Amino acid sequence: MDLAFQDLKLHKGRFIATMVGVGLLFGIVLAMNGIYRGVIYEGTALIKATGPDLWVVQRYRGGPFNEQSTLPEFFHYSVKSIPGVEKASPFIFYTVERMVDGQSRHFSIVGYDVFGGLGGPKKIVAGRPIQQAHYEMVANVKLGARIDDRIALGLHTYTVVGLTNDAVDPDGDPIVYLSLHDAQEVLYQQDNEEVRNQRERLLRTLSAQNWLTPDKAQKLLDPPGADTHIINAVLVKLKPGISRVQTARMVEKWLYLNAYGTKDEVGLVLKGRLTSMTHQLLLFRMLLLLISVVIISLVIYTFTMEKIRSIAVMKLIGAPDRVIVRLVIEQSLLLTVGAFLLGFVLISNTYSMFPRRILLLPADDAVTFAVAVAAGVLASILGLRHALKTQPAMALGG
Amino acid sequence: METLRIEGLTKTFGAGNLEVRALREINLSVSRGELAALLGPSGSGKTTLLLCVSLILEPTAGKIVFDGQTIFEKNRWSEVDIRRLRREKVGFIFQAHNLIPFLTARQNVLLPLNLVGIKGQKAENRVRELLEYMEIAHRADNLPALLSGGEQQRVAIARALANTPKLILADEPTAALDTARGAKVMELLKEVARENRTTVIVVTHDERMIKGFDQVYRLKDGCLNGDRERTV
Repeated sequence: MDLAFQDLKLHKGRFIATMVGVGLLFGIVLAMNGIYRGVIYEGTALIKATGPDLWVVQRYRGGPFNEQSTLPEFFHYSVKSIPGVEKASPFIFYTVERMVDGQSRHFSIVGYDVFGGLGGPKKIVAGRPIQQAHYEMVANVKLGARIDDRIALGLHTYTVVGLTNDAVDPDGDPIVYLSLHDAQEVLYQQDNEEVRNQRERLLRTLSAQNWLTPDKAQKLLDPPGADTHIINAVLVKLKPGISRVQTARMVEKWLYLNAYGTKDEVGLVLKGRLTSMTHQLLLFRMLLLLISVVIISLVIYTFTMEKIRSIAVMKLIGAPDRVIVRLVIEQSLLLTVGAFLLGFVLISNTYSMFPRRILLLPADDAVTFAVAVAAGVLASILGLRHALKTQPAMALGG
Repeated sequence: METLRIEGLTKTFGAGNLEVRALREINLSVSRGELAALLGPSGSGKTTLLLCVSLILEPTAGKIVFDGQTIFEKNRWSEVDIRRLRREKVGFIFQAHNLIPFLTARQNVLLPLNLVGIKGQKAENRVRELLEYMEIAHRADNLPALLSGGEQQRVAIARALANTPKLILADEPTAALDTARGAKVMELLKEVARENRTTVIVVTHDERMIKGFDQVYRLKDGCLNGDRERTV
């Protein structure tokens, strides 16, 4: 005969209601685990998917994801000339907010050498990779675009030729792949009106100088347009057997640039832009677990207090302490395990509805379960202490 | 054969000016199968004596010999030993029935059997036998809240008898019942004492209920009032 179960049968309404409440809390804890893992996954997905042997960036910069890194495009030829480098590809990455299909969308653009260079999409789920130098794009399905859709970016319109489903930037926003020169144009190319305005402003400034005639001022104006041949990084593939560390040192010494391995680049992002968010999520998870423990503790304490006279009767008729301990702890564990399972089922069936990626890992679930069970036992201590202190004499009298 | 012998039992609460002597030099002896009544007005120390006999309260002085073993003299037994003694050899019946509310009548009787390791069919048979003996078998699967006062008290007696105890301690078992039901409970206790050779000590303040008892002890202000009366 299981005393804990018999008692709960009598209070099943209250028990189930409490279990649902605590289950929702555990569901949120599990969701936070998933969000935490998702933030790390998305924050490093592009770096890992691109996965070159080295990321070469501007000197003293932790770019291209943690901070801005600006290099002239031709630098990739310099990097290519370092001994041991098999391939060096220019790479550009930036975030934009543009209208897509009538809606303002926040996404990132990656520009890469589409003719055999590094940095292109890892896996295309529909369509094909970019095969022309201009006006083609590969987009993440999260952008809402379909194959053959035409999307205007800057001065030109681009046709969607391929779709990916896991290419996201460190903020979880979709990535659009363009050829390097298209991506540079979208970022740097000014439209005609802007060029005219700029020339007019400069002309007026120069014309105000007494020592310049209007003809001379006209001659001093820059040619129309701006330099678009700027990149953020050079992606490097090394020849087999070549040391990454030594090549990185060589790049730093001779080209006066910084070079990081993919692992270092992941570390930079985790320590940089993701650190406060991951710490916040960790703290939030701990707080929620603490709240769950306090609620379980109060519920078990109330349950125990309600049957204190029954516990006194049990002691009076000679029930050993282990029977009473089992009664209290079993109820606490039933509540904890039941609530955890409820939360687990809930989040396992709804995680795909969250706007950001929820990455549920069995190891995280197992650790949370172990912590929850330990917390459940801990939560019963208050009730248990009271139960064990109860005097059998309490059973007597009216 | 003597089941319980108490010598010079004293119980004091508090100390100094606040000291209250609830029991003073109590001596009594009850033999196997005997029915003994502890009579006295409220506050005379009847329940305190019952609590001291079962070592729920620790006496201040004296000696208690139960079933041939000295269970209290200068040092009382450990809590573990006292609880084992209670679950194996003592049955309790209370004024307020004190059934466990989340267990059915059957489960309430089953609990003391489970506590001494009797389980399965053997335990179930014993429970059925006791409930039939108490004429309450038809309510076996009801929770205490659904039973009348008399039915609850019969379940409580069945529970007290479950482990075939050597001693039953009953604290005002008829106080919450009407006269007819109270008399029936007393008849049941007499039957138990006769048929099972169980020693029964009943605390009561109702003289009408002790007809047919073997011994009557009268308590007043914590003292036994003169010698015991042998009624049979």
